[in-house]
Amino acid sequence: MIDFIPGVSTTASALTAERIRMDVISQNIANANTTRTPSGQPYQRQQVTFETVLGQQDQADSASGSQPRLIKVARIQSDSRPPRMIYSPGHPDANAQGMVAMPDINTYEEMADLITSSRTYEANLAVIHTGRSMTMQTLAIGRRS
Amino acid sequence: MNPLTAIGGSLNPQNLAMYAAKAQSMATGAADKVVPSGDLGAVQLPVDSPTVGGTGATDSSFASLLHDAVQEVSGKQAAATAAVNGLLSGQNVSLHQAMIAMEEASVSFQLMIEVRNKMLEGYQEIMRMQL
Repeated sequence: MIDFIPGVSTTASALTAERIRMDVISQNIANANTTRTPSGQPYQRQQVTFETVLGQQDQADSASGSQPRLIKVARIQSDSRPPRMIYSPGHPDANAQGMVAMPDINTYEEMADLITSSRTYEANLAVIHTGRSMTMQTLAIGRRS
Repeated sequence: MNPLTAIGGSLNPQNLAMYAAKAQSMATGAADKVVPSGDLGAVQLPVDSPTVGGTGATDSSFASLLHDAVQEVSGKQAAATAAVNGLLSGQNVSLHQAMIAMEEASVSFQLMIEVRNKMLEGYQEIMRMQL
């Protein structure tokens, strides 16, 4: 199909990627105090890495050799930081020494990531808006008066 | 928001297909009236010798061109409807994908309107011609 809004496929993939990133950040914030996961370990901070993939070759653009580059979440990996040990003997997950392993999640850091993600999302939306208004102005070429 | 978005969103593909059929019959009729011996489909068709480009009339006639364009617009509308349905029924469609599909449908519909305006303009120009 024809791409009416310029660059929309790349931008759409970026929006999807940012949504996944936001999901992961919200998961980190929500689990900041989780001491037990299905594996029995404290929650590990998750991190998103993006990668560029080549999109479908557009037939109209094949002469110029331009190929849309899409953003994709390469993987969601666990942070390697060791857990914080907190002394709390009454905690059900405390070890023999009375220490509880808490996930090493800094809420401020997560909030900063969240704002970065939100701003990136906004920037991509601005690209779509600009592309749309460019298209609409182009369509106005044919209009008289 | 552009009011045309609302129009583009609420139109359903069945209607558009009907319009396409109607437009096709109108276009063939109009072509017959205006240039009875010529073929509007060939782009660099000389008016004097209709035999040069007149052989492939069924493939690239003006009517089929128009039909294809309307089909494309209709396809965009159907894609937008499918995206919104997928979003609302909880399938793996995100909000921005649905919005982009609707926006593309709106833009292509707008393009179709512009083409319609241009065609009408040309038709009226011909009808005003003094013979």
